[in-house]
Amino acid sequence: MDNLKYSEILQKNRIMFKDVNGKPYKVKVLSNITVNSIKELLEYILHINQINPIVELGNYDNILQDSAKCIDDDLVIVFYNLQNNIDNMSYFFEDINDELYNTIKDKICHEISMVFDNLSTSPSVIFNLFSSIEFVSSYCQKSKIELLVTDLNEYLNKIKPMNVHLVDVEKITAIIGVNHSIDLRLYHSSKAPYTLAFLKKYVTSIESILLRNNGKLKKAIIFDCDNTLWKGTLGEDGSDNIDMSKTSHNGKIFNKIQQIAVFLSKRGILIGLCSKNNEHDVSEIILNHPDMFLKNNFITIKKINWEDKATNLKSISAELNIGLDSIVFVDDSSFEINLIKDQLPEVLTLQVPKEIYEYPNNLLKIVYKYFNLVVNQDDYSKIEMYQQQFVRDEFKSKFDTIEDYLSSLSISLTIHKDDPSYIPRIAQLTQKTNQFNLTTKRYVENQILKFIQSENDYVFAISVEDKFGENGLTGLCIINRNLQNLKNVIIDTFLMSCRIIGRNIEFAFMDYIFDWLINQNIETVNAEFHLTKKNEQVNSFYEKLGFNVESSDIESKQYTIQLKDYVKKQIQYIDVKMKRNEQN
Amino acid sequence: MIMVDIKNKIKIVMSAVFDVPVEEITEISSSDTIESWDSLKHLNLILALEEEFDISIPDEEVGNLFNYKLIELVVNECRK
Repeated sequence: MDNLKYSEILQKNRIMFKDVNGKPYKVKVLSNITVNSIKELLEYILHINQINPIVELGNYDNILQDSAKCIDDDLVIVFYNLQNNIDNMSYFFEDINDELYNTIKDKICHEISMVFDNLSTSPSVIFNLFSSIEFVSSYCQKSKIELLVTDLNEYLNKIKPMNVHLVDVEKITAIIGVNHSIDLRLYHSSKAPYTLAFLKKYVTSIESILLRNNGKLKKAIIFDCDNTLWKGTLGEDGSDNIDMSKTSHNGKIFNKIQQIAVFLSKRGILIGLCSKNNEHDVSEIILNHPDMFLKNNFITIKKINWEDKATNLKSISAELNIGLDSIVFVDDSSFEINLIKDQLPEVLTLQVPKEIYEYPNNLLKIVYKYFNLVVNQDDYSKIEMYQQQFVRDEFKSKFDTIEDYLSSLSISLTIHKDDPSYIPRIAQLTQKTNQFNLTTKRYVENQILKFIQSENDYVFAISVEDKFGENGLTGLCIINRNLQNLKNVIIDTFLMSCRIIGRNIEFAFMDYIFDWLINQNIETVNAEFHLTKKNEQVNSFYEKLGFNVESSDIESKQYTIQLKDYVKKQIQYIDVKMKRNEQN
Repeated sequence: MIMVDIKNKIKIVMSAVFDVPVEEITEISSSDTIESWDSLKHLNLILALEEEFDISIPDEEVGNLFNYKLIELVVNECRK
């Protein structure tokens, strides 16, 4: 985006408006200054990520009132510029006494908290931290405005609600320079302080939030080995001459890369190796090389062979049950990188730079933009769970029928109803689950919280365990009561993580939910299937359960069922427990 | 850059900002002939022109550039 001119961005938008379809993503920008050129920039960044944008600007200097009207926006961005506040005052700010300073500070804090209150039901809010960088006149003394900025930012950090992201705009100013960020001339004439260069950088800097909110984050990163995880070529230089030592000139770069990989692995990102080498040689290095930091327990999948890498990445995608567009691939060779770009354009690639000292930073930029780094309990054990899956698959081949195999697993389900301690994981499930997902509605934490708190919505989550270990929280069903007809409910979301597909868990889960609904005197259930590129496998899920199709078109089907007609699937080999913290 | 290029570039920028086909931007185009030319679009036009030609249009001119002729004149002036 940085290398495109504004007029080029406008032209590209016109073309992409026709190409990008799908459910619109509604963004509202509120500000007390003029930032209207940001509209097209936001549209552009959403377009290139295949998100269909509707971007609207609030009225000039009307943040508080506008914030009460953002009811159906998916994202609200707030530009609260201090300069405009200060300039509107009738006195010279540096000359005010402590009492007036406190009055002003309290007034702004109060306003912010009202804005946050108004936006408390918004799925996602971006609020820029205050900045004093354009006010700095002295390097040796702190001005009153700088003090105010520090106080206000402290306040923001203290009261920040769960749905608000704070963006540090001073980092942007630091990168492009104050003179390239702020244009006092246009501030003076049109109250438009920010330059295009600033706004472009700003939009790029929030891209990660946009990706996250739209379930477009990556799940796995696959590394080549030679000159990618270590310096040197194992097959030619030999195991004694490859270098990834913390203390050598080039080795320390590669050591850092391995540390980043371990860091990601601990956060639930799947790490894989894909290298043209003899499998035995690489295994030997991973096991026994004293400098190897990325050990087997952090690696989920390995393709060490002489096949072409496009084939290998395709089988990695199939074995891990994730889309190619969820994969990042790192390699030093232009040949391999170009092959993947050509054959599998969905895969995001990173080529190890010639300027090797830039390698860790280049990798970190991708890491912070494309991966969800919020740690949750489940992620820690995810690699282990995938490894158990491989044992399970081997075990499976010993049984004649799939039913025999499943009964031997001692599967047990634990149901957690409306349990707020799982909110981060539940939101993550809605954002990441693509295949076994009937409606593919993406939710952020705040929305899940609302469902849990509401008396008319029920959130059922399941964790699954079997003789090979725990699978963690892997299934979700959100149900809304029909307020027009209290004997009827609507299944808003029904999804299962790909880790537990193929074990009839969905049927045991549904049996439980329907029992519960019958106990609540519910008579009918409505449901919907919404077709996406990835969820074909559940196209007839509701038919299998005995739902009747009410209406359908190319993209979706609406169903209904009378609960008295529901025939329970009675999966004998799955044990279902309710976690005992249920209040109703 | 020769004169024809500058003329074309100005027209392309105006066409992009105001969302009208480039053929419809002529020497007599102005805020009276282009419907979408309001004060906010005007600001985008100034920013886009400055970026396109790597110039800075003086404060006192910003408010005057409401037709093609004046834009061309000022762009050339600023490029000197």
